[in-house]
Amino acid sequence: MTTIKEIKDQLSNKKISVQELYDDYYNKAKKSELNSFNQLLEPEYNKQNIINSQSRYDEEKDLPLDGIPLGIKDLFCTKGIPTTASSKILEKFIPEYESRVTQNLLNDGSIFLGKNNCDEFAMGSSNETSFYGPVINPWKNKNQINDHLVPGGSSGGSASAVAEKICVASIGTDTGGSIRQPASLCGVVGLKPTFGSCSRWGVVAFASSLDQAGPITNTVEDAAYLLNSVSSYDPNDSTSSNHKRDNFLEGICKNFDRPITIGIPSDYLKDVSSEIIEQIENTKKHLTNLNINFIDVEFTTTNFALSTYYIIAPAEASSNLARYDGIRYGYRGKGDSLEEIYVNSRSEGFGEEVIRRILIGTYVLSAGYYDAYYRKAQRVRRLIKDDFQRILKDVDFILTPTTPNEAFKIGEKLDPIAMYMNDIFTVPTSLAGLPAISLPSGLSKNNLPLGIQLIGNYFQEKNLLQMASLLEKEFGFNG
Amino acid sequence: MDNNWELVIGLEVHAQLKTESKLFSSSPNQFGSDPNSNVNFIDAGMPGMLPVMNFGCIEKAIKTGFALNFQINPYSVFERKNYFYADLPQGYQISQFEFPILSEGHIEIENDNVLKKIRIERAHLEQDAGKSIHDIDPKYSFIDLNRVGTPLLEIVSYPDFNSADEVINYITSLRQILMYIDVCDGNMQEGSLRVDVNLSVKKPNEELGTRCEIKNMNSFKFIRQAIDYESKRQIEVLESGGKIEQNTLLFDTSTGETRPMRSKEFAHDYRYFPDPDLLPVNLTEDQIEKVRPTIGELPQQKLNKYINDFNLEKDVAKIIISEKSYAYFFENLISSKSIKPKLAASWLVGDIFSFIKEKNIQIHDIDDRSNKIIQLLEMIESGTISNKVAKDILVEVLQNNKEPDQLVKELGLEQVSDNDELEKIVDDALKDEEDNIMKFQSGSDRVLGYFVGKCLKATKGKGNPKVINELLLKKLNK
Amino acid sequence: MSDINIKKVSYLAKLALNDDKAALYEKSLSEIIEWVDNLKKIDTEGVKPLHNITEKNQNIRNDEVLKNNSTEEILSNAPEKAQNFFRVPKVVE
Repeated sequence: MTTIKEIKDQLSNKKISVQELYDDYYNKAKKSELNSFNQLLEPEYNKQNIINSQSRYDEEKDLPLDGIPLGIKDLFCTKGIPTTASSKILEKFIPEYESRVTQNLLNDGSIFLGKNNCDEFAMGSSNETSFYGPVINPWKNKNQINDHLVPGGSSGGSASAVAEKICVASIGTDTGGSIRQPASLCGVVGLKPTFGSCSRWGVVAFASSLDQAGPITNTVEDAAYLLNSVSSYDPNDSTSSNHKRDNFLEGICKNFDRPITIGIPSDYLKDVSSEIIEQIENTKKHLTNLNINFIDVEFTTTNFALSTYYIIAPAEASSNLARYDGIRYGYRGKGDSLEEIYVNSRSEGFGEEVIRRILIGTYVLSAGYYDAYYRKAQRVRRLIKDDFQRILKDVDFILTPTTPNEAFKIGEKLDPIAMYMNDIFTVPTSLAGLPAISLPSGLSKNNLPLGIQLIGNYFQEKNLLQMASLLEKEFGFNG
Repeated sequence: MDNNWELVIGLEVHAQLKTESKLFSSSPNQFGSDPNSNVNFIDAGMPGMLPVMNFGCIEKAIKTGFALNFQINPYSVFERKNYFYADLPQGYQISQFEFPILSEGHIEIENDNVLKKIRIERAHLEQDAGKSIHDIDPKYSFIDLNRVGTPLLEIVSYPDFNSADEVINYITSLRQILMYIDVCDGNMQEGSLRVDVNLSVKKPNEELGTRCEIKNMNSFKFIRQAIDYESKRQIEVLESGGKIEQNTLLFDTSTGETRPMRSKEFAHDYRYFPDPDLLPVNLTEDQIEKVRPTIGELPQQKLNKYINDFNLEKDVAKIIISEKSYAYFFENLISSKSIKPKLAASWLVGDIFSFIKEKNIQIHDIDDRSNKIIQLLEMIESGTISNKVAKDILVEVLQNNKEPDQLVKELGLEQVSDNDELEKIVDDALKDEEDNIMKFQSGSDRVLGYFVGKCLKATKGKGNPKVINELLLKKLNK
Repeated sequence: MSDINIKKVSYLAKLALNDDKAALYEKSLSEIIEWVDNLKKIDTEGVKPLHNITEKNQNIRNDEVLKNNSTEEILSNAPEKAQNFFRVPKVVE
């Protein structure tokens, strides 16, 4: 009993109470040693929510996510609950407001177990930059069974918790792959919706033109449940889209009533390991079983995506993080002058990767470099977007690996660029703003999960989830 | 100026827009509230907060565009100006840089009856910052964020000014226009209008000199003083062989001197880039044109009308248009067309203005007296009462809100214009005045005035001076 | 190769780097900038910069007062405050 539908059935049929369900997950989460929660809420806190939820089930008026215990990435501002962005600089920050996304989840009756650990300010691909310590992947390399592996990042806590099954699902954020990559390394499902699909209001900002909230779940159907809740138009977010939202559950496990074509970019597969190639080949077989066509496609801009991203994202971040100055909230360093307070608060409050990205961002925006870097990157971004549009004219979805490698050892990748390369397959979609989902497709030689990524066109999440659900059944992956 | 030096000045005027809410947040746009009481989470730069644009600010900008002869740009982009300061919660100010909403405007200023065109390079929308209070504690400064996010229109002129007079004229005209079109309340004491003065000096036919910027001036008196001091300072430096360092300056009102702000080496790299939380503004022709009729008559148009159509003296007209509230009051007085504009004008700038000045009130404080004033003016115009009587009644109207025609009836103050009645008075006045009559007949005009006064006294001021004059002349010239 | 003025960049970002850290970050930055320099190879002549993926126009809000937050809420997380103000060391302009 682990999917949302199964759980809801059990609750409706009184096989289990909301309290029992909650206690079960809470106790599991409390016992976990994988550090996937920065904060577990005390049961007292959720007492009334649980009572209300149970009443609704008793009256058969239950809400779409009623009683479902969720993890929330510690990047979402949750009213009255500390929100730290896994950073020292926000260690004691308690927001007086609820983010749009988490408000939607509360409105749909879900129960928050706690705030999931993540990379500091969502900057990282391994959840090793958190002020609260690294998160550990529940999976183990069968040939190095004692090693702690990374869960991926930045939503490493979310992915690990879902994989360990100490929460039913989690809401993370994805800027360059931060939902999809950890989902892939942890053998779970992760969806990044179209940019503008979910509101960014109340989400601690990293890179404003790229950040998107999205579900990390055990199944594709669960992701659809969550997306139904979190995707909404928000007039308080100027980049929020007001298109009409589908019911994302509608297509789950249904066959398409028209021919579908999937494009597989050869340029993505140029330098990957044989295991990754195997995943793609395997997927092709399943597509054939499903009577779905696939063709070779080729991007012209793939080699430039990471550079583009690592100029734009740090630039926006350097500006978004300027508000952390020790004056109105957060950590304040000592100082006898305003300048000292700024410098000490920020230098002591931010971790190394955050400082590195702020420096990069400041540099690429600075006088004399703006045109060569930031402006140039914005032009290349348009070319990347056009490249996708060209290809999506001929195909319904694009299939790629999610990550170039399986989960690696904590502490193994120390070089920043080596770390950035983790995002090679996810970053292009982020730059184009397209929706993409990662689902586990199989295991590596080391018995570690590998994932494939499906990319759809703008606001085609329903079709994307439908396609993913069909593949999911084919893969038969059992976490 | 001394020694052939030319003064070159450019101005950046920051006008706070008169909107209900702020530029990117819906908290109140209000002055003078308790500290940190007009602030919402967006203003305070809390984590995860996002800006949403107030269309009212765009409308005010478009209005300004029409009034100042600007090119109104349908496409404009908000950019972040990044720097750190205690009164700037986000660590950046949302402004417009590469694509401002208004370009290439101009106004004309008048100096000694000569018109000069001042070109305005651009105007753009931006957020105001909060306030820091530095002088109430030796160890601390205190930050009030109420003003954060208040909409500003920054109006940047070309360096077309060559004297303090021109600068003052421009700011006066600009302020007047902005108040007329209801874009800014013009309250300089409250900081609704602030001016940065960019000043340099040069010799004729030479290149422009290095300029210094005197920031945040909000008083005509101090602007003049600052220009005076700074120009002299720069000339002294150059004449003694030195070089002008480009600096940002503050004017110290207590010493009358400018001094550099504490600036650091890399202080001015603002790293402008388009704000990724906002989308570009793309105005339709409709949206722009819709604003045009809301502007109403501009000061210059009113001035021309008053002089050409109403036959007012230029000086009088200028006084009336100097404040929109005066012009409205005046036009209200003459709206029923029962009074000649010239008459209404002279009473307005004379006795009525004296009254409000003396009582230290605003013209709108006597708005409720308008109808009674009209009544009074009608009586003057029709000759029902004399000017002298009118003056006294006006005081009663303004001070005590009395009804003029009631007063006149109660106190029997109607002007006496009846020929027969007045002839009797005149005859009486001329009795036993052979000496004075002879004086008049031998050319003394002053005597006439004496007789007129005598008659007025006899009528207790109600006699129609014109008729008295005519009758006297008739009889004296016999 | 590196013309990165780490002192200027860290000053602008209000970060204090001791000499060791400064050297480390400068090296790191140089490597990353060199890595992203591959953008020089792609021709972007005549391509308009993409600022917002949505490519829509700015949505607007009517000019009305809606959201004010109480002084308590605004100051609730302040590390140092006094009488409804935020308090900082004295600033000399």
